[in-house]
Amino acid sequence: MTALIRFDQVTVALRNKTLLSHVSFSLQAGEKAALQGRSGAGKSTVLKALLGFLPLARGDIFFEGEPLTPSIARKLRAAAAYIAQEPILGAETVREALVLPYQFRAHHERQPTEGELIQVLDDFQLPADLLKQPCARISVGEKQRVVLARAKLLGKRLYLLDEVTSALDPESKKPVFRMLADPDLTVLSVAHDPDWISRCPTALVMDEGRLSRERCGADA
Amino acid sequence: MQTLDLQWPQMLLLLVMVLIPWLALGLLGIRLTREIGVGIVRMIVQLGLIGIYLKFLFDLNNPWLNGLWILIMLIAADLTILRRAGLRRPVFFVSTFVAISVSVLFSTAFLIVLVIQPPHFYDAQYLVPLAGMILGNCLHSNIIGLERFFSALRHRENEYLTYLMLGASRGEAVQPFLREAVKAAINPTVAGMATMGLVSLPGMMTGQILGGADPWVAVKYQIAIMLCIFTSTALAALLNLRLSIHLAFTAFDGLRDDLLDDH
Repeated sequence: MTALIRFDQVTVALRNKTLLSHVSFSLQAGEKAALQGRSGAGKSTVLKALLGFLPLARGDIFFEGEPLTPSIARKLRAAAAYIAQEPILGAETVREALVLPYQFRAHHERQPTEGELIQVLDDFQLPADLLKQPCARISVGEKQRVVLARAKLLGKRLYLLDEVTSALDPESKKPVFRMLADPDLTVLSVAHDPDWISRCPTALVMDEGRLSRERCGADA
Repeated sequence: MQTLDLQWPQMLLLLVMVLIPWLALGLLGIRLTREIGVGIVRMIVQLGLIGIYLKFLFDLNNPWLNGLWILIMLIAADLTILRRAGLRRPVFFVSTFVAISVSVLFSTAFLIVLVIQPPHFYDAQYLVPLAGMILGNCLHSNIIGLERFFSALRHRENEYLTYLMLGASRGEAVQPFLREAVKAAINPTVAGMATMGLVSLPGMMTGQILGGADPWVAVKYQIAIMLCIFTSTALAALLNLRLSIHLAFTAFDGLRDDLLDDH
C-alpha cells in the first residue's frame, strides 16, 4: 500500500544550520503518530517541511506516492490542517473565524449553515453562544478547539498538530481525542502530553535534527 | 513683488545662531557635536552643488537633460527606499523602479500637461521641482509600505501559513498584510492633507509666497501638488507591493529567506 506521507533521507538546512538530517519515515492513511523530542530537536521543522514551507537540501518528501512539487504541496495543504501551539483564528469573532475559509476562492461555493456551525462547536463541547464572542476574549484552550472545529468543517483528513492539547483540561481533551481517533484521519502531532502519546501507536523520536527512534504498535 | 536676496554676511549670521543649540547640546553631554557639524556642512555643500546644477539645468532647459535628471532622481530614490526598508537590491531594484517611475511620471505628467499647461511640458521650472516633491513623498510611503509588509510577514509567518492551509491562494493569503502595509504607507499623506494649513503652512506654498506669488495662486498650487502626492504615493505603494509579491516567495509559496539586506 502506498504510504500517505513518506520522508526519504530528508535534510533541511537554513542559513548554514542543519535543522533536519537524513530523516526517513512513512505514515499510512489513518495512522496516528506522535513526534517527540526536546525543544529544538526539529519536530516543528518536520511539519513545516512536509507542507513545503522549507526548502530541502537533500532527500525527498512524498504525498500519496508523489514527490512534493509546488502543485502536490498545494494538494497536500488542501487535505491537511496545520494547527500550531498558539492557534491563529485570523478573524474578529469566533463565527468569522469558522467561516473564514469560505471567503477564499477554493471554498466559495460551499458556505456552512448556522446549524453546522453550532453542531461543530458542540462536537468539541463548546457552547453555541461562543459564535458571537470576540476571538481576543476566549481562552487558548477554546481557540485550539475552535481551529480544530474549523478543520473538521473543511473535511480535512490529515492533521498536523503542534502541541494542540497543551492548554486543554482532561474534560476538554475528550472530544479532541474522540475526533482524532476517527480511522479515516491521519495524525502527525508534536506532543509532550502523555495522554495523547499513549493513544498514538507510532512514536517518532527526534534528537538534534535526526530521527533517533521509531516505535510502532505495542512498543509505543 | 520680488524676493529679497539673502546676503552672504547675513547667511553667516545664521551659522552663529546655530552655535547656540550646538553649544547647549555639548554642555548637556549630548554627544552629537560631530554629527551636527557634518550634517550642516553636508547640507550646505549638497544644496550648493544642486544650486549650481539647477541654474545650469534651467538655463539650458533641454528636454533630454531634464529627463536625465528625473532618471537620476528615480534611481537615487529607488536605492534609498531599499536601503531604508532593509531589502536586497538584486531582488527589488526593478520592481521598485517600475512602481515609483510609473506613479511619479503619471501624476507629474497629469499635473503639468493637463493642469498647469506650460509652453513646454519639459520646462525645468515646473518639471524638476514638482517631480522632486512628488518623488520625495513616494520615497517615504514606499519605505513604510515595504518595511511594514515584509516585517509583518516575517513576524506573523504562522498567520500567513494558516491562511494558505485554509485554502487561500498566495494572493489571498497576503491580502491582510498588503492592506495593512498600504494603509501605513498612505496614512502620513492622508493625515498631512487633513491638517494642512492648520498645523503648519506647507513648504511649497510658503516658498511661493516668499517668492512673490499671489497667495491664491500659491494655495491652488499647494492643493494641486497635494492631490498629486496622494495619487502617486498610493499608486506607488500599491504597485510596488503587488510587484514584490511575485518576487518574494518561493514556488512553494513560502517567503524567500534571501530578501533582507543583512543576509
